[in-house]
Amino acid sequence: MLDLIIFSTFNGVLYGMFLFMLASGLTLIFGMMGILNFAHASFFMLGAYIAFQISNVTSFWIALIFAPILVGFVGALVERYGLRRVHNYGHVAELLFTFGLFFIMEELVQMIWGKVPVSYRVPESLDFTLLEISGMSYPAYSMFRLFLSVLVFISLFTILTKTRYGLIIKAALSHPEMVSALGHNVPKVFMLIFGFGCGLAGLAGVLSGNVLGTEPSMALLLGPIVFVVIVVGGLGSIKGALCASILIGILQTFAISLEFSLNDLIRFLGYEIDAESYWIYFVDITISQLAPILPYLLLIIMLISRPRGLFGTRDV
Amino acid sequence: MKLVSIIISGFICLFFLVSCGEKEAKTNIRIAAIEPLSGPYGAVGQDLIEGLQFQASIINNNGGVLGGRNIEIIPFDNAMKSEKTTEQLRKAIDQGIQYVTQGVGSSHALNIIKQLQKHNNRNPGKEVLFLNNSAVTTAFTNELCTFYHFRFDANVDMKVAALVTQIAKDKSVKKVYLINQDYVYGKSFQSAANKFLTDRAPNVTIVGDELIVPFGKILDFTPYVTKIKSSGADTVLTGNWGPDGTRLITAVAEAGLKIKFYSIYAGIPSAMNQLGNKAIVNPILQVTESHENDSSTPDWLRKNDEEYFKYANKSPTTDRLRFMIEMFAQALDKAKSSDPKQVAFALEGATGRSAHGEVNMRKTDHQAHFDMVISHISQDVERPFMYNGDNYGMAYETDGWIKKEDITLETSCKMDRPNS
Repeated sequence: MLDLIIFSTFNGVLYGMFLFMLASGLTLIFGMMGILNFAHASFFMLGAYIAFQISNVTSFWIALIFAPILVGFVGALVERYGLRRVHNYGHVAELLFTFGLFFIMEELVQMIWGKVPVSYRVPESLDFTLLEISGMSYPAYSMFRLFLSVLVFISLFTILTKTRYGLIIKAALSHPEMVSALGHNVPKVFMLIFGFGCGLAGLAGVLSGNVLGTEPSMALLLGPIVFVVIVVGGLGSIKGALCASILIGILQTFAISLEFSLNDLIRFLGYEIDAESYWIYFVDITISQLAPILPYLLLIIMLISRPRGLFGTRDV
Repeated sequence: MKLVSIIISGFICLFFLVSCGEKEAKTNIRIAAIEPLSGPYGAVGQDLIEGLQFQASIINNNGGVLGGRNIEIIPFDNAMKSEKTTEQLRKAIDQGIQYVTQGVGSSHALNIIKQLQKHNNRNPGKEVLFLNNSAVTTAFTNELCTFYHFRFDANVDMKVAALVTQIAKDKSVKKVYLINQDYVYGKSFQSAANKFLTDRAPNVTIVGDELIVPFGKILDFTPYVTKIKSSGADTVLTGNWGPDGTRLITAVAEAGLKIKFYSIYAGIPSAMNQLGNKAIVNPILQVTESHENDSSTPDWLRKNDEEYFKYANKSPTTDRLRFMIEMFAQALDKAKSSDPKQVAFALEGATGRSAHGEVNMRKTDHQAHFDMVISHISQDVERPFMYNGDNYGMAYETDGWIKKEDITLETSCKMDRPNS
């Protein structure tokens, strides 16, 4: 039992920090610009592909630095020449724009790198077992990812709450006229935030493309889990995204290892359900089988009881 | 004025070209290949169609069928979408095409079977025949069987039977963990595995039986790996494909577990390329109709493989496409007609050449039977897998052949046969 708790907590944190890495850019863009970026996963995919290309020619470490920068640059261009024009037509137009962008990016990636998965691999220098917890070994690479995602959290949190830039960024969302009257270039601030958010997605792509597999459908497969993270955590809250990620990570890891069903409880209470009845389908489902839908259940409960999320300041 | 006349004469030329094309097409035996050619699964469909076109060209270069007529493969893109499959099938039928082939995705195959059933009932004399090249749901040759459907791939039950037959021979396998995707295909794999393991490998215990959310929704397989580990399993028997397969294998390798994988699709070439050297420390076995590094490959097949490599710049993987086209061509000649009904009668009980003995098309359910080979991924092979110039540095190595008698299963098929 102790083994299970240690493992599930550790693995949950590891998985949670991975989710945080995926969601941090999205929550930044949503929180600071109010744009729900549907193409976020596409930038994630672009990061993985560019990292594959760079590390093929040079090394993983150069890819780690330049791929996110390149993706961020692409993101900034998209904001400057696309989103900024669409912005005037409201949120629906922005949503549709990023939705279309998603499909364009998927086709582009297929045109450049082909439709079959590419062999983007974990760098050899980090491809060894670092530590063992309850008989499961953990490769150095996953620790490296954990370290980087903690670093991303600390730097984002510090920039947004402790520096003057953070102040300007937050004010640009709530009081854009005032900020621009004070001599700051508000559109430029937005462009930089969008670029930075996309860069974070790119970084997540660089770090996870070699674990999850780099293929044209990866953006599609990443699915709605990142949206769950930002809604549960509270829109735009970096701290919230972190807590929600870890919460989901631990919840899911624990749930998968629990082989109990409602039927066990009923039996424990001394009742028996007829194995022929239809009820057996429902009561026989184990917690383990329910694990993948738990995050979405959490999302629904959160939206009903506390629409602003864990650390959000405004309702969805 | 000059410009106008150029445009008009251009149109006239174009018209003639088109009408000439039409004329020629009428003498060709056309097969509509409805597969995904765009979207994330596009590569799978394109490779299949390339294989079909190559095999058709071999038949055509050797004199064609029915005294000099050619077999022509016409690609139709269904983009892996149900409604597109229906639409493209309609289009093919409207163009007068009487033969359809499809393979990627059993749901689309089911769609075609249902559509054709209606069409063939309503249009006697204009029947359309379905040559199923890869859709493996067992029901198509059981309760859902129809006269105008022929399957040239082994179905899920047969493939699982082949894997379990090998497991029974494999002394290192004692405890098996089942992990499958929670949808029609994964569930039929699961029930077949449970059935055959108790029947054919009584010494093997099933220590886990898990269904997971399919199609790449699971990002972290580590919790499942702990379950496999704590169950004490030495072997995982799985039908998982795509990311659900590669992520599972990678997670097991990362956790440092020594596990043998028996699978259908976890080791297909595209997965092989992704897995890389580290993940294949564990043996990854699969079942196929043949593979290039098998030493018993006959010379004529070697020659066909080599010509395919020159044609497509890819190592051959799907030998069933070859015997499907060959058997189809023979059936046309035997029927002495391009009428699908006569061809279907000729295909019943027909035999063809497989990499290891004969292919038999069973009359009762229209399911092809042939020997299958169990192989594992290895880096120590004579012919590493090549794909568009990329050398994957690994390929398959034979573990053993499973005789077709061992995977010949009973069928519940009761089909309505038309009068010949």
